[in-house]
Amino acid sequence: MQKIAPITKLALTIFVTIWSIVLQSLPALTALIVCQLILLAIAKVGSSVYKGIASLFAFAAILAGMQYAINSDLLLAAITASKMIAMTLVFFILLATTRMQDLSAALVLQCHIPYEYAFMLTAALRFIPDFLAESKAIQEAQACRGYSPQGNVLQRFFSYMAVIKPLVLKAVTKSETMALSLELRGFGSRKTRSFKNNVTLALQDYAMLLSMILLTSYLVMQIY
Amino acid sequence: MPAITLQNFSYAYNHPKKVLDNITLSIETGSFSVILGPSGAGKTTLCLAVAGAVPHYFGGSSAGKVYVTGIHTKESSMQQLSLTVGTVLQDYETQLVTMTVEEEVAFSLENMGIAPQEITHRVEEVLDKVGLTGYEKQAVTDLSGGQKQRLVLASVLATNPKILVLDEPTSALDPEGTHSLYKLLSDLNKEHGITILVVEHDIATVLPYADQFILLENGQLIFNGTPEKVLSYMAAKQIFTEAIPPLWQLKLMIEELTARQFASWHTEEEAIAQLSKVLEEEADKNA
Repeated sequence: MQKIAPITKLALTIFVTIWSIVLQSLPALTALIVCQLILLAIAKVGSSVYKGIASLFAFAAILAGMQYAINSDLLLAAITASKMIAMTLVFFILLATTRMQDLSAALVLQCHIPYEYAFMLTAALRFIPDFLAESKAIQEAQACRGYSPQGNVLQRFFSYMAVIKPLVLKAVTKSETMALSLELRGFGSRKTRSFKNNVTLALQDYAMLLSMILLTSYLVMQIY
Repeated sequence: MPAITLQNFSYAYNHPKKVLDNITLSIETGSFSVILGPSGAGKTTLCLAVAGAVPHYFGGSSAGKVYVTGIHTKESSMQQLSLTVGTVLQDYETQLVTMTVEEEVAFSLENMGIAPQEITHRVEEVLDKVGLTGYEKQAVTDLSGGQKQRLVLASVLATNPKILVLDEPTSALDPEGTHSLYKLLSDLNKEHGITILVVEHDIATVLPYADQFILLENGQLIFNGTPEKVLSYMAAKQIFTEAIPPLWQLKLMIEELTARQFASWHTEEEAIAQLSKVLEEEADKNA
């Protein structure tokens, strides 16, 4: 999967989303999920991805349980949960097998999205671990000062503001520093920027794209 | 030609409160200069003025001129200046914007529109320079503080700047990381002729490498010259004395008590050597 061009994987994400919406039978959706799991296995993704997938399955099961409690329709609940899993799994494939810089390059070079917007995607993902570490540090600092959320959900939410406020302020400060550092590194100074990595389509990409188009056409024809 | 020249430069983020007040200063090409001064002295602003962020990015009011390798910063742009001046900010972690080491170094070069083959070559070269060869595919978030600092340095060195400006680069490093970073900066200064301008509170760590100290206080240039002259001035005028390294406090005290003048003490080894020599001389005299 790592050898597939990012634009092909983006197309796969869109097509799988369409298939998940179009398909209404539980076996077909199950097959779609299994196919995606096989793709992940072939890609040899890390254990953290599987932990995320396990959480996704647990969340889908809760949603299915809630829907069953409301509708008493087990098949509908299973189909809804399967659709959600199928739609989300493809994002795991995309993010686990594509480097963000390659994705940015594909968005800019092949989708003609301005680099500034494509860069936002990369930067957001880059700072998630920093943001989580910052949140943990603030919680620990506030705990040292006696912060201990107690009471009902609403009370806990309001007491959590003691963490959110400094976190937001720090994030704003960081974003300002980042903007300055980007300027200092000549970001956006040229109309044409280069990309180190090659993201052009190869033969296997064309084959995958053609297969996806044919399958989608077949599914749409089956409906109408 | 000096690498950096400030001519009667004044700056205020919000008029009329001046952060830099009538600074006239010259930094020679290939020098290793250190900006000293208490908090709020204007050290960071001076760095930003050299990088062109003041006034291009921050706006504000300014008077006087700043020349970087002969370029008048006000008449240039930050992007143009970034080709000459590489800047490492105090919060260096926020300067790292990509996922892996290799991508981070390539980022600056991609911004310049450099061809992919050349990028690959320069990434290898610059990672070797900062001692991060073998870390190409490593996630930025998995690096230690010292390695992140080196990576930031690599990312600015990739564009071959003539001047490196670093704002308190060791504030988050342990003593080993600090020593290692300054050794690297010294090598870049001596072997590649890069002019270094650094803000540092811990004078002892930069003493072995620096050849110019710039002392600021309340936005004004108080004194500027060789480390020996500036440290002696600080002690004589009782300015920012808490920053004088213990080794130099001892040197100045001995000099005052014995009326004997020692050469510069850049390191403890130099101090020991000179004191041993003096003691031997004294012993010979007494014998």
